[in-house]
Amino acid sequence: MKRNAIAFWGASVLFLAAILLSAELVANEYWFFAGYVILQFIVLSVAWTILGGYAGYVNFGTSAFFGVGVYTAVFLVSAVGAPLPVQIAIAAVVGAILGFAVGLLTLRMQGIFFSIATIAITIIIETAVTNWRELGGAAGIQIQRPPVTAPFHTYVQMLVFVQAVLVVISVAIARYMQNSWIGRGLQALRDDELAAECTGVPTLRLKLIACVISGALMCAAGAPAAMYLQYADPASAFNLNYSVSVLAMALIGGTAHWIGPVIGAILLGVTQQVLTVTISSEVNVLVLGVMLVLFVVGAPEGIIGLFKRRRPEGKA
Amino acid sequence: MKRRTFLGAAITGIGVSLIGKAGADQPPIKIGMSMPLTGGLAGGGKPSLLGIEIWRDDINAKGGMLGRKVELVVYDDKSSAAESPAIYSKLLDIDKVDLLFAPYGTVPTAPIMPLVKQRGMVLIGNFSFQVNSKIHHDMWFNNAPWGPADAWASAFLDIGQKAGGKTMALLSADQEFAQNLAKTAREVAGKRNLPIVFDQAYPPNTVEFSSIIRALSAAKPDIVYVASYPPDSAGILRAVSEIGVGDNVKLFGGGMVGLQFGPVMAKMGSLLNGVVNFNTWLPEPGMYYDGTKAFFDEYSKRAVPAKVDPLGFYLAPFGYASGQLIAAAVTATKSLDQKAIAKYLHESEVKTIVGPIAFSADGERKETATLQAQFQGIVDNNIDQFKKPGKQVILFPEKLKSGNLITPFEAARK
Repeated sequence: MKRNAIAFWGASVLFLAAILLSAELVANEYWFFAGYVILQFIVLSVAWTILGGYAGYVNFGTSAFFGVGVYTAVFLVSAVGAPLPVQIAIAAVVGAILGFAVGLLTLRMQGIFFSIATIAITIIIETAVTNWRELGGAAGIQIQRPPVTAPFHTYVQMLVFVQAVLVVISVAIARYMQNSWIGRGLQALRDDELAAECTGVPTLRLKLIACVISGALMCAAGAPAAMYLQYADPASAFNLNYSVSVLAMALIGGTAHWIGPVIGAILLGVTQQVLTVTISSEVNVLVLGVMLVLFVVGAPEGIIGLFKRRRPEGKA
Repeated sequence: MKRRTFLGAAITGIGVSLIGKAGADQPPIKIGMSMPLTGGLAGGGKPSLLGIEIWRDDINAKGGMLGRKVELVVYDDKSSAAESPAIYSKLLDIDKVDLLFAPYGTVPTAPIMPLVKQRGMVLIGNFSFQVNSKIHHDMWFNNAPWGPADAWASAFLDIGQKAGGKTMALLSADQEFAQNLAKTAREVAGKRNLPIVFDQAYPPNTVEFSSIIRALSAAKPDIVYVASYPPDSAGILRAVSEIGVGDNVKLFGGGMVGLQFGPVMAKMGSLLNGVVNFNTWLPEPGMYYDGTKAFFDEYSKRAVPAKVDPLGFYLAPFGYASGQLIAAAVTATKSLDQKAIAKYLHESEVKTIVGPIAFSADGERKETATLQAQFQGIVDNNIDQFKKPGKQVILFPEKLKSGNLITPFEAARK
């Protein structure tokens, strides 16, 4: 256990150092643009897994949380010119509050009813933002980036590093939850909620904790997107594609272990980036669908499920 | 005999390969862009791209630019703001394109402006609306005929006020383009002390408009400014035809997107009569410049197999004009130097198939060339009627005027 923790934090530090170093070594900016999108999907799918995988509550509202993150940042920049770390921190707080509210309203529903409720929440929030003229409303809003801070040469390089830090934070949280009493409780309620309740697992409290953390991470992942695009419009920020892609990434990677969504997001994120610039974006969505069907049929536990089957004693 | 034939063939072969090699020594000039080929803006993105492709084929038939062939590098941005930054970064850093065109529409264009400015690249805009107003990129040139931000609403309200309009109603879709139009309309009405007696925005995908139209006609406006998207434009006109908008309405329309696209117009037929709406190009006398007719002949041939708008008035000729703008600048400056190209486009007036184009300091047109035209004498189920003059009579700009306004609106509908 202790050796595992040392390996994890060592790898995290190496990963961040590599990103930092790449800002010096890699001159071609495209890799940062593409890398940013992939890292953003890793945070989103890890966050999704906390509620969707550990607790088994399939959330279609990723785009709602992501969009709220984007618009929180837009609001903070246009109202008070807040710096990037403040934008992310406040977006995480807003996401946590939203997660708590959404959880209270919807977590008494189960299965498909919960999923439908999360779609409804996306639509409600998108409609509210669309009618919020101070935030640009339906016309969208352009914001200006402040100058980049050293040691980065361009703002996108800095955003990639920030998103990488978010990846480490989200994976660390997911890893902690998985190995703690929260993870064990969530696993119990995923397998049989009634039985878990009867044996004394505080199911609603655990689900609320999962919802709050998942929401906070999703909103935090959305906040830098405002600076990445320097433009926000409701149709793009609340695009249902985020929900679908993130769900596919988590399911394809596997939802029982924190590494699952990381693998899924890297695999699908890279595939999407490659397909967008080689064949077409339309094929990209088709590939997502086909892969999802193949995995649901052939590997219902995702990629990590395939490895587990080979090594049944594999440790979580 | 045989040997001579062989020798002849060999010499010809070597000759051809040498010519081929000479051509290959000169790599093509790459023009990069993303285009909404799927998603909400695809209906406009496809004809726009076809216009650009026709220009590419024309210029390559004439030997290309600077003696080099022109090659287009195009990716689909799904009509989304989230896709275009990575695509333009790839165009610049991996594909190493020489020149950039913007995608069709404001949403995918807005997020690439900072990158393009940072890299000091010329960007030929494609029908976006005021994306450069905050960024102030001095190498931005929008091909759209919009002109100054308020010109659109001013032209429509001018016509309405001349027809005796004293009050105004505003009906707009909750979407990007429509809201931009509504915002400028409010500002212009405010400056002219024109009271807005009805101001309503409706959610996208609304299909049933009878209650909204009833509320609108109860406010008894003289001028009705509608900023709508294709599906709702149809719904609004259907509701108007069933319920009517009242006898005091002198002018109806202004910013209805969709009434420029062939299939939509053909489907709406006689419902269109009387509507005064914006457009960019129409087959009216005075709209034909050098090459315009040849372009539409070629477009008509290629549109049907390409499954795009068979008329293509709205966007396609402007795609071609984007090419003409860049070709004029590259040829005149004899270089691909971005600063030189930008300087040329700022200082010169370029002749294109949609008329002469001159830019103001912000990269928008110096003068608006957005048309306001009234549908007159339209019958049902006939797309070819729109190719003839007199069906969409130009009321603005004055120098292109091709007929008179029929008013009030209820009279014009008959």
